[in-house]
Amino acid sequence: MEFRGPSGNQELYNQTGVKVVSPEKETVGYTFCDGCNEVPFCGIKFYRKGEAVTRIEPWPGFPASPLCSKAYATLQRLYHPNRLKYPMKRTSPKGSRAPAFVRISWDEAYDTIVHHLNRIKELHGPHPVFFYVGDPKEPRASVQRLAYTYGSVNYGTESSTACRRAAQLAEVLTYGFPTTGDLPTEQTKVMLIWGTNPAYSGQPFMCHWQLADAKERGVKFIVVDPRKTPTASTLADIHLQPRPGTTAALAAGMMHVIFEEGLHDQAFCNKWIHGLDELKAYVKGFPPDRVEDLTWVPAKKVIDAARLYATNAPGGLKTGAQGTTHDLNATNNHRAILMVPAICGYIDIPGGVTKPTSPLEGMPFHWAEAPASFCMRDKLAAMNDKRLDLEAFPAWAEKFFEVQTNYLVEWIREGKVKAFLGWGFNMMIWPQTHEYQQAFADLDFAMAVDYFYRPQTHDFVDLVLPAAMNFERLAPFAYYGRTLFGRTPVKPAGECKEDWQIALEIGARLGYPDQFFNGNVEAACNDILGMFGLTCEDLRKNQEKGVTVPAKSPDAFKKYETGKMRPDGKPGFDTPSGKIEALSTVLQRHGYPALPEYKEPMPTSKEYPLILLTGARVPYITHSKWREDSPWLLELQREPLLMINPEDADLRHIGQWDAVILKTRYGQMDAKAKPTIMVPKGIVGVMHGWAKANVNELIPRQFDPISGFPPFKEVPCTVMQASSASAKKRENM
Amino acid sequence: MTRRYGIIVDLNRCTGCMTCVLACKQENLTPPRVWWDKVLEIEGSGLDYITYVRYACMHCDDPPCVAACPEKAIYKRSDGIVLIDQAKCHGRGECRKACPYGVIDINPEQDYFALPKPPYQDTGESFRVHPPGKATKCTLCVHRIERGREPACVEACPSKAMIFGDLNDPGSTIRTKLWQAEQLLEAQSADPKVFYVIPKNLSKLLEERIVTNPHMDRLP
Repeated sequence: MEFRGPSGNQELYNQTGVKVVSPEKETVGYTFCDGCNEVPFCGIKFYRKGEAVTRIEPWPGFPASPLCSKAYATLQRLYHPNRLKYPMKRTSPKGSRAPAFVRISWDEAYDTIVHHLNRIKELHGPHPVFFYVGDPKEPRASVQRLAYTYGSVNYGTESSTACRRAAQLAEVLTYGFPTTGDLPTEQTKVMLIWGTNPAYSGQPFMCHWQLADAKERGVKFIVVDPRKTPTASTLADIHLQPRPGTTAALAAGMMHVIFEEGLHDQAFCNKWIHGLDELKAYVKGFPPDRVEDLTWVPAKKVIDAARLYATNAPGGLKTGAQGTTHDLNATNNHRAILMVPAICGYIDIPGGVTKPTSPLEGMPFHWAEAPASFCMRDKLAAMNDKRLDLEAFPAWAEKFFEVQTNYLVEWIREGKVKAFLGWGFNMMIWPQTHEYQQAFADLDFAMAVDYFYRPQTHDFVDLVLPAAMNFERLAPFAYYGRTLFGRTPVKPAGECKEDWQIALEIGARLGYPDQFFNGNVEAACNDILGMFGLTCEDLRKNQEKGVTVPAKSPDAFKKYETGKMRPDGKPGFDTPSGKIEALSTVLQRHGYPALPEYKEPMPTSKEYPLILLTGARVPYITHSKWREDSPWLLELQREPLLMINPEDADLRHIGQWDAVILKTRYGQMDAKAKPTIMVPKGIVGVMHGWAKANVNELIPRQFDPISGFPPFKEVPCTVMQASSASAKKRENM
Repeated sequence: MTRRYGIIVDLNRCTGCMTCVLACKQENLTPPRVWWDKVLEIEGSGLDYITYVRYACMHCDDPPCVAACPEKAIYKRSDGIVLIDQAKCHGRGECRKACPYGVIDINPEQDYFALPKPPYQDTGESFRVHPPGKATKCTLCVHRIERGREPACVEACPSKAMIFGDLNDPGSTIRTKLWQAEQLLEAQSADPKVFYVIPKNLSKLLEERIVTNPHMDRLP
């Protein structure tokens, strides 16, 4: 702080004459934000008077910091009068136009759940009960433990529906470790940011300032994104704006230039890339002129980007969780990106793409996966053959324990799923949402835990249970690197319970009181913390600074040379060939294209000349959340907006805020137009998750064959003035 | 020497993430549709980038709102912070007409939630109380400055796009960067103490925007 103390004239700012209450009467508390479902969580320090939270600010010194707009709004959400505060059961048929619910006791809610789970197990075995965790990710550990103890292998998440896992699959198949890249270090000379907008989202959260600092110290930036994002506007030296779905062609074009001009790291390639000759032969077919035709990126820019990246070692990489995997070539598109830093030799070197040397033992991938031992994942091997996604997505099923959920419609119709227990789930995540809603209405039993009644989902379930919010939760604790942090909750509103408590209490009532700590959340956390000789009390004692578990060895690089990449301690990468796999041996074995091949996206036509790009993040909205949860945020955008390039808008006589209709072969919706250069010509952008304009109804139930991901960023569409559409309708009458 | 507080906003770093907007809202609890701290989006023909602009009261050294107020409710403190005395204000709106930057609003009757008030609205802190019908604008978080903290928007900015400090202190960070920054609508001679580092070719478009529409983009 550069300015000095108070000026002394305190009465002058007491503008209303209201007595200033001294801040000493407040005490402080600590929690994490669940605003965007990110892990590791961002830290919130809050002020409280008794059980009431009065203000919040960033947790000083917390590694995931600063906060974003959504975190500030969690304060208003906490006191929203529409919050669910009591368990409710349905009294009208599922899917009826006038859903009716009555308040019930927790005892009745648990009895109902236990009754259905026992009945189904007796009649059909445990596997037709599907366990699911959506948003927040926080209860994943407790719900896995519940699923696997009950005996069902069928546990899935939003990650295994449409979010992180397709990119992660590509990473694991290619590098043998998951990574969304690294922030630039002092060594980094050039950054490749592909399909992500760290100014608004991604990991680590709100890291834009670190990228901006890197730019100021001279790091070059190549940003690949069809949209003119603030990341591109504030950072890019070269901005490549590819046609959605053509990632593999653009990456092949860059590799073509790098190989042709001999800019690759030959020694690294020869020693550590499996399928190098096949890759070289493949990208030979992607000269810059052809790449321009396929991707709309000017040939010169492809060449410039390739040269800038390959000649400024070391180069870093930043990719997103799912920005590049929402098309029918998701996995191989993302694999193609990963090969660009690989052929430059930028893997696991300072300033490049690194694998952490010493992740926290027992819980390497944050709460997104959660600790294997606590989650009872040792039970999985014996029941793996009962996985519902085994046949459709075999490479996926080999790499992830989470079941790919997109075929739930079929599984319910075929009687393979009879009950669904969901924490924070939203049916709008699925393409052709109504098909899932209809299927859910046919289940024997479905249950949802949530903060608010959300009709698009809860109209189709039997029980809705009220969840405690972030300020009211003890579990889970947070960890960042090797430092653990606890939280100090206030008493939950009404009869709300935290997610973990609900999962633990169901487990206890199913007949496993000891395994579920008699429903005691702190005891469950202590069971995990016991791996490090810690308890929640230790975290409270070190509240603001957290507790660091010392690493056994210092950070190391080029771990593929020393055996520290693989669990068996042999040199090489943790893939079947021991190398980075340009040619994936796993994909080959399952009969998929084993090179990161290009696949032509769905063709546009005269009728559907534009490409629909959904899922791009708005900084103050996450998916379907935050529309009704906080009026502060809703006020920033009340209506679904359609971003359209000004030239495309002019062509259709569409002006700012005009009512428009967006249409694909599969559905249509209303929106308000926002002509903007945010989207290039030929592409329109719509935020997903509006209940009144669910853009996922416009997306077909077609899936990337490897990951099962839907084409949220590929479908041809058309846009017209709502008034001209109604005029046309009248003409036809 | 007396202090003279100001802010530099570096538009090369602002991403329009709205964090400052919500940090201000949460700190000061302004009523519905009143946003002391705003973000304007600027794009226009001939530019191939979108610029986001954190925008609020400029705490002018020669504030036109002070002279315009018939109740003499607006005053400039010795440290340069311009405040509206809510007890004296009758909400006539003369200050709104006089402000070249369009950053003064009148508090509405409505609140976000029906009664009872959420507990965070009941802390008894004057800066979080906004009587209906009174003129309202950014206070530069004077209550925080008094306690040795930066304004909420500055502290919250995830891109570190803002520098707050004492313009009279030759050693301050704000002073060392001042040469890169400019005042908006300098010709109005209000001598604003919020300065902007502005991307090339944008100044004219930005000034046009704040003269025609100083509000956040919202559906009509």
